[in-house]
Amino acid sequence: MMKHSVIITPEHVLVDGNPLEHNESGSTMLTDLYRKYIGDYPKFFKMDTLSKLGFIASELLLNIEGNRDFEPREDRAVILFNRNASLQADTHYQSTIQNPDNFFPSPAAFVYTLPNIVTGEIAIRNKYFGETSFIVIENYDEKIIEKNLRLAFQDPITTSIIGGWVDCEDEEHFEAKIFLMEK
Amino acid sequence: MDELIYTLKQQIIEALNLEDMKPEDIDENASLFGEGLGLDSIDALELIVMMEKNYGIKLKDPTQGKEIFKSVAVMADFIAKNRTK
Repeated sequence: MMKHSVIITPEHVLVDGNPLEHNESGSTMLTDLYRKYIGDYPKFFKMDTLSKLGFIASELLLNIEGNRDFEPREDRAVILFNRNASLQADTHYQSTIQNPDNFFPSPAAFVYTLPNIVTGEIAIRNKYFGETSFIVIENYDEKIIEKNLRLAFQDPITTSIIGGWVDCEDEEHFEAKIFLMEK
Repeated sequence: MDELIYTLKQQIIEALNLEDMKPEDIDENASLFGEGLGLDSIDALELIVMMEKNYGIKLKDPTQGKEIFKSVAVMADFIAKNRTK
């Protein structure tokens, strides 16, 4: 059963279908949302755009649920999907090692060269010790997403899932459609 | 030395994305890791890269970092004595 949903595009933010007030657009909008609605997690500024997007979407989602006690729990999974994997972070990292005369691989850029880092960021923030998966598929496909989430509920531990689509092409092109589901 | 400390603070803020922080907010004698600025192991690696890039210092032994990154003042002292650019 779907309890809550959040949709973020470079121009719009919908929380349970209602527009959320914000300024700016693109990745600057994500920082604006962080300052306005979150603001207590400076690690946000170190994240790549994909992780910022997933982090903000999950925070807005969990703020609707309330009871943010950050107690460790195993029964909530984080299962996300996208098309572009971590391409933006990969490209950025590549730019730090492209020129042999200016070869300074950035560790802070390198750590984001995997899409599943975003699920880890959400799990660490909320002390979730349940399943975390990031699945890369060709295009947004509700059937594939639903099938995988249904499978996740087959285990005896998972009772709820933060799931959905978190895709980032670059700082101006991204989309998050995530929801909170209960068994 | 004061100028180097100030520049170093600016470079740390930029390299580690310490948004909302100004050089004046960093106490040059405070610990960089743990209680002080609260940096982590990835930040330590980034500082090693930053020292090589900006000052031509290549740490031969990464465990040296523990001593060098004690504070901005200690770091500045090490850079002043070992910089090649």
